[in-house]
Amino acid sequence: MASVAELKAAIDAALQQIGDGQAAVQAASEKLAEAQQTLAGALEGSGHSTVDAAQASLSQAAQELEECLAATLAAVEQAQLYVSTL
Amino acid sequence: MSIISDLGAQVRAASDDLPIALVVEALDRLTLASERLRWVRQESVDPLGVPELSAATEHAETAGHALRLAQDQLATYLAAIGLGRDGTPAARPPGPAGERPGPPAAEPLAAPRRVAAGPAGRWWAVRVAELFDRRDAPAVEPDREITDAEELLRRVTTGVRSGDRGRLQTELRAVEANVGLGLASVAPPVLRDLATTLLGHPPRAADLPRLRREVGSRVTDLLPNLPPAVLETLLSRVCRMPPPKNPVEQPHPADPAVAAGIVTGLLMQRLGVDQRPVTARAPRDTHA
Repeated sequence: MASVAELKAAIDAALQQIGDGQAAVQAASEKLAEAQQTLAGALEGSGHSTVDAAQASLSQAAQELEECLAATLAAVEQAQLYVSTL
Repeated sequence: MSIISDLGAQVRAASDDLPIALVVEALDRLTLASERLRWVRQESVDPLGVPELSAATEHAETAGHALRLAQDQLATYLAAIGLGRDGTPAARPPGPAGERPGPPAAEPLAAPRRVAAGPAGRWWAVRVAELFDRRDAPAVEPDREITDAEELLRRVTTGVRSGDRGRLQTELRAVEANVGLGLASVAPPVLRDLATTLLGHPPRAADLPRLRREVGSRVTDLLPNLPPAVLETLLSRVCRMPPPKNPVEQPHPADPAVAAGIVTGLLMQRLGVDQRPVTARAPRDTHA
């Protein structure tokens, strides 16, 4: 059976991984916003349905990244709450 | 550099800079974190944030799908305005004399020289035929009326509910790869709502066996060559669980998309509905 110290160490390691994941998601969101801006400028006035679809896909990606980050925050909160009860 | 080449270069550069690698890195980190928390969870009944982390992983995966889809759509656009994938003028197949690429707004989506209509776009149709065990099925005419995954999902779910397997596989094979791959983005939220309606509560880990029972054999009937791990991963995601550990091999990109569309149709058939149910979501269920 694992000791409390081992459980805490495992959760700490998981929290570290989540933190790294959050940093990657935030960096991805920033790069995505830059790409959206570049494409919006370059393709302004296109009206081509494939351009509209690509921009919708990018918006969806941005939304998913935002929700991903929110979910990681909730996961961290839950894990930290558990650690505080150990 | 001509104006159109300059435009192509800008679009290509923006497409190449899409943060797919960062999303993959985030997914790797979140997967590692999930594994550690699952280990801890073996020692505790507390959920420990595992469902939330599974939801985060699902969002990251969907973001990755959407980014790849956008890249594909931008490549299609470049091809439609007469540029290759690197933004430079592409070699054009023979066309009517005097044919010129029009301005982007005037270029019809179904232009005959679309790259996806050629061999490069056939991988999707080939894989769909394999999944349906219809490798010898005659080639289908590309259906360029379906240009978005939402419309394809409607058609797939209608096909599943009608029980017309032949029509279903024909419609799926006829779309272009970027539209078909979009099923992997648009179907999961609908699936989750359907499963919530079926179960009477948001699906969770304990509901996985029931979902398997509800759709497993029907999926096998429709897609006899779908690797079992693909369905298991899909249903695990619906239940906000991590995917099975150590899958034997990476699935073909078409597999999760086709499976998501088919399972959505099967759950609609099971529930007797023809559209996405309206479910009351708890605040945390929007991301948990």
